[in-house]
Amino acid sequence: MKKENLIKFYSNHRLYIFPVIVALSSLFLIIFVIYPQTLKLINNQRAIGDLMNKSRFLETKVAALESYDEKDLSRKVGFALATLPADKDFVNALGLLQQLAARSGFSINSISFGSTASKLGDSDSFKVNLEIRGAKSSFRTLINNLESSRRLMRISSIDISSSQTSQALDVALAAEVLYSQLPQSFGGVDSPLPELSQKDEQLIAKLARLEETVSSPSATQSLPRGKSNPFE
Amino acid sequence: MAKISINLLPPEIINKELKKTKFYKIQFVGIAIILTMIFLASLTVALRILQSRNITEVQAKLTQTEQRVSDLKSTQASLFLLKNRLTVIDKYLEVSSQQSSTYKLIEKLIPPSVVVNTITINKSDEAVLLAMVPDAATLDNLVSGFTVKENNEGNNIRVSLESLNRGKDGFYRISFIIKRL
Repeated sequence: MKKENLIKFYSNHRLYIFPVIVALSSLFLIIFVIYPQTLKLINNQRAIGDLMNKSRFLETKVAALESYDEKDLSRKVGFALATLPADKDFVNALGLLQQLAARSGFSINSISFGSTASKLGDSDSFKVNLEIRGAKSSFRTLINNLESSRRLMRISSIDISSSQTSQALDVALAAEVLYSQLPQSFGGVDSPLPELSQKDEQLIAKLARLEETVSSPSATQSLPRGKSNPFE
Repeated sequence: MAKISINLLPPEIINKELKKTKFYKIQFVGIAIILTMIFLASLTVALRILQSRNITEVQAKLTQTEQRVSDLKSTQASLFLLKNRLTVIDKYLEVSSQQSSTYKLIEKLIPPSVVVNTITINKSDEAVLLAMVPDAATLDNLVSGFTVKENNEGNNIRVSLESLNRGKDGFYRISFIIKRL
């Protein structure tokens, strides 16, 4: 009885009921299936694009990293760390200062190291006070040698006194010897790789030449060895 | 002669037939809409499944590449360290400090006949010179060497005279401060 009523009701109003059912079903499909799926499709497509870009970037990075010879890179890092070490390395600085003074024709009366560290740009530095004596004509060479030495140094004060008769100078020189702590981070997996420019390569070659100058036997021989007769 | 057509069907039957035709049309359109919606829904779901598979593949590839980068971590660290050091070294190596450039300038500008007793260049790049000058003309040359731009390589130099006296030997003893501005 009830079913017959329903059928009769539908037959009478099917012109309206059918379109309503179609509209509701379509709306249901749109709201719960088509719209969310399309939205996810678009978002995922974007995510795929990002992943592909990242993958391409990492592939390039791997290729770039593989192109470096690890031994050669370590050698270059060695040159750079010799010029700008991670710690104060007083012994190295002392040896180098003695060597540079001797090479420039100066004799060292005293060397003292400042205990406090100061900042020079992004780097740290410590002070070295030198009391030296040498020819007037060689002082410029000494300055140039100090400022282009294997270890980074900056002259911070100069005190020169000379007598009227002699060609010798008594110099009190203060220099800032630079060092810099190792960076905290060496870049993550997806951080861009720094590139070594032509200028950087030239600088490395210069550092290598400086290193060779220091380690060459002639340079080592020029180190002051002290008095031949200590009782003189 | 024009034909005469007469519809003898009762209007109830005509109305019923018209309603039926209208319903069939609506039914056709409705079914077409439903089928289109089902097709679109299936299409999006299928595409999503394909896309998920694609994402998994890309992610696997990415993980593999990330692993390769991690394996080369030491090379990357060396490169970062090298670049970091080179940036600082480039800034200072063979670049004269203010004090040494001031000394070089003084050395260049002092006439050969002038005897310099002391040169003190302090941290703030202020130079104090104590010198002996043989005559007034040289003294004039000495001061103008520092102050005239054509002579001093275009530097702006302030010269402050601290003392000037003439000794029995005829030499002028001069003490002055030089500051590059």
